[in-house]
Amino acid sequence: MKKRKQWLMLVGIALAVCLVSGGMLYIRQKNYSKKWSLIYIPKTEDGTNDFWTSLISGTRMAAQECGASLEILAPEREQDVEVQNRLLKEAIEKSPDAILFSPSSFDASDELLQKAKEKGIKITFIDSYTENDIQDMTVATDNLEAGKQLGEYARTLLNEDSRIAIVSHVKGVSTAIEREQGFREGLGDYNKNVVDVVYCNSQFDKASQLTEELMEKYPDLEMIAGMNEYSSVGAARAVQKHDMEGKIQVVGVDSSQEAVQLMEKGVFKGIVVQKAFKMGYLGVTETVRMLQGKPYDENVNSGCQLVTPENMYSSEIEKLIFPFNILK
Amino acid sequence: MNEKNREQKFLKGFKSIQSTIFVATSVLVLCAVLVATAVSVRYTNSTIYENSAIYTQTIIRQLNQNIDSYITYMDNIASVIAKSQDAYQLLYQQIGEDEAVKEGHRKRLLEQFSTILKGRDDICNIGIVQKDGVMLINSGYQATNPDLDLSTQEWYTNAVDNYNQYCLSSSHVQHVIKGQRPWVITLSREVHNFYGTGNSDGVVFIDLNYSAISELCDQNSIGDKGYVFILDQDGNIVYHPSQQQLYNELQTENIDIVMNADSDTVVTGEGDEEKIYTLSHSETTGWTIVGCMNMAELLKGSKEANNIYVMTAIVLVAIAMLISSFIARSITLPIQKLRDSMERVQEGDFKAADDLLVPSQNEIGSLTTSFNVMTHKIEDLMAQNVHEQELKRKSELKALQSQINPHFLYNTLDSIIWMAEGKKYEDVVLMTASLARLLRQSISNEDETVLIGQEIQYVKSYLTIQKMRYKDKLEFEINVDPSINSVHIVKLVLQPIVENAIYHGLKYKESKGLLTVTGYQKDGDAVIEITDDGVGMDEETLGRIFEKHKVNYRSNGVGVYNVQRRLSMYYGKEYGLRYKSEKGKGTTVTVVIPIEQEEHHEKA
Repeated sequence: MKKRKQWLMLVGIALAVCLVSGGMLYIRQKNYSKKWSLIYIPKTEDGTNDFWTSLISGTRMAAQECGASLEILAPEREQDVEVQNRLLKEAIEKSPDAILFSPSSFDASDELLQKAKEKGIKITFIDSYTENDIQDMTVATDNLEAGKQLGEYARTLLNEDSRIAIVSHVKGVSTAIEREQGFREGLGDYNKNVVDVVYCNSQFDKASQLTEELMEKYPDLEMIAGMNEYSSVGAARAVQKHDMEGKIQVVGVDSSQEAVQLMEKGVFKGIVVQKAFKMGYLGVTETVRMLQGKPYDENVNSGCQLVTPENMYSSEIEKLIFPFNILK
Repeated sequence: MNEKNREQKFLKGFKSIQSTIFVATSVLVLCAVLVATAVSVRYTNSTIYENSAIYTQTIIRQLNQNIDSYITYMDNIASVIAKSQDAYQLLYQQIGEDEAVKEGHRKRLLEQFSTILKGRDDICNIGIVQKDGVMLINSGYQATNPDLDLSTQEWYTNAVDNYNQYCLSSSHVQHVIKGQRPWVITLSREVHNFYGTGNSDGVVFIDLNYSAISELCDQNSIGDKGYVFILDQDGNIVYHPSQQQLYNELQTENIDIVMNADSDTVVTGEGDEEKIYTLSHSETTGWTIVGCMNMAELLKGSKEANNIYVMTAIVLVAIAMLISSFIARSITLPIQKLRDSMERVQEGDFKAADDLLVPSQNEIGSLTTSFNVMTHKIEDLMAQNVHEQELKRKSELKALQSQINPHFLYNTLDSIIWMAEGKKYEDVVLMTASLARLLRQSISNEDETVLIGQEIQYVKSYLTIQKMRYKDKLEFEINVDPSINSVHIVKLVLQPIVENAIYHGLKYKESKGLLTVTGYQKDGDAVIEITDDGVGMDEETLGRIFEKHKVNYRSNGVGVYNVQRRLSMYYGKEYGLRYKSEKGKGTTVTVVIPIEQEEHHEKA
């Protein structure tokens, strides 16, 4: 009788082991294949802005590949902090697993983000960040590095006395501050030749207008550096309009079809391109990794690349500046 | 020898046959199942791998042929245009530059382009371009890119001066049309200048979008995670389903491994990342078609099969364990029962064998049968033995009982004679009656036991005779509780004791002796005390009182030893005689027998 009980126990243990391991496998698979819900709030979704278009398509593709649901809540105009905060509030109410956010303001969204965090929503910053370290993860271009590359390249185009003006996008925004700082570092001792910094609030027209004012103010200006797509293209438009491309060299950050055309025409002498698609894609995949509890990097650098008229038709650069979105 | 020892040691490790059988069967089954499973898993894996490798190879070759014929077809279109009178004359005819004629060429070419474009969705652009000259594209309405220097475009430069051969670009951006920068694959062909004057710098090009190629590549499904991609001769990607991710550095492809592959099949990576690349080079296009399959996915089918194998194996082992435990139990249970009942028999319980059922006709069955037969035989023998012993004891008892001291008889008869001579007729009557009662009781009664009352009567008769013989010497009192009168007592127990008391105690006393017989109940036993106030015994004599040689053959030969033996034979060792004596004061003999007497003694 005793022996019999022992065997029953043995068989029982074997069965229990089978059940438990099977169950664990099932749970693990379930956790792995969970459909995460994400909301991305970019600065804008503007059909004329290749940077954001490309970034958003990157997030969409990554979400599709990860099997996550992604909702994009975008203000119509960049710099519309009020609308962005309203969208952020809306997003928090939906209680997604994570909010991906590209803050238009350096400080105006922190309160809401804190609320989201308290609700257990993970925060990933894409492209820009805010004053306080609220985020769980940041995926952005190393803007200091981007500015530096531009500055170093610009230095090769100039001589000791060339005067330089900077058209930046928004005063106080992290990207603007860092790019300008990097640009100045890249210029090295030519930094002293920067005569003025103006802010266009991410509007093409304002950038053009400011550039015209600058050209008037500093007739011996030899270079204008734009710190984002709006400011650099706006500046280039103004330079082209006044047929000053022979005299004033335009360099900038962020590419677009228009910027490429302007480079072909010889207005742009150099553009530092952010890897927007990669940034969006990594923003989603890394956030999903974080949600899955896998190891992740808190700061992801999506990288940047200098494009000049000489290398713009090379295969490597074409891949970067012309979005390949033909398939599917 | 050594091996045998080891085997024994091994078997000794288990405490029972049951566990030995169980463990042995389980281990055997487990080994068999493990080996079978391992073999099936291995075989399934290699079969699936080989089959899918062959299958993929076939698909990739087929796909290569399809792409070759697709490109050849496109080249035919380009050729037709490049070799047409219109193109050639439009580009190079310098003599008699009649604008109207040129316009005619232009119109016909554009018409041709429109027709081609209408029929085919996979052509993005078609046109004829000439450096700093003719730019004739699609329907002719689209503005060309004025800032583009054609000499920076590989598809153009490669085609020029490369008569009779088409050029096929890799994936690239087409900058020719203003405001459009699509990714295309360009097939270009020189329009040769046969005039001999001027450059041969006209090129016909066809921009292919990816619709046709991706359709060709994707329709050949090689698994959910499998895909097909195309590389050009320099290892640049012509087509890849994840081209966008690759271009954005979000994925990598093992292009180096593919380009440096020696055979048609390359396996790379490890674990979940293990991939099989199947290649096919095309002589026509110079491209390499690569099919990539994820090994894990490929083996998913086999993994499922493996899971089934393993599950089956587990179930089999579980069933085998259950069955083996059942078999082990069914074999050893009868053995255990046999062992248990053997133990009981060992302890003397022969009825244990009756409980044993013969389980079946196997070895254990016959063993059980033999055991049962043997036990029954032993039981019979024991019973026979007991019976014989009983008979022996009975005859012994009879022998003991039947001995009446002849001297007593002679003396009594002598006494009667004397009394008769002395004309004491009343005494004669009394003595004769007493003697008659005595003789009747000792001879006629066949039973082993008598009632205490009868035995007392017997003693009374005896004492009456003796009192008459030793007139001045003996006085007796009999005082028995009537409640024990009906208790059975072994025959002729009291008389020898009384006789002893008279001959050894009272006879040597100078004054008159008193003999008292008292009977009463005590603790469920009947107690009869025979007390004399004779000479008594010292301790030494008392210690030897039960020795056999102390038989007094002068008395009836039924000595104290015999009485004691009969009592203990009959009632058990705890019953019998107890002597208490003091020199000079007398002796008390106590007879203790149980009141409740078991039936089987009566039977016997």
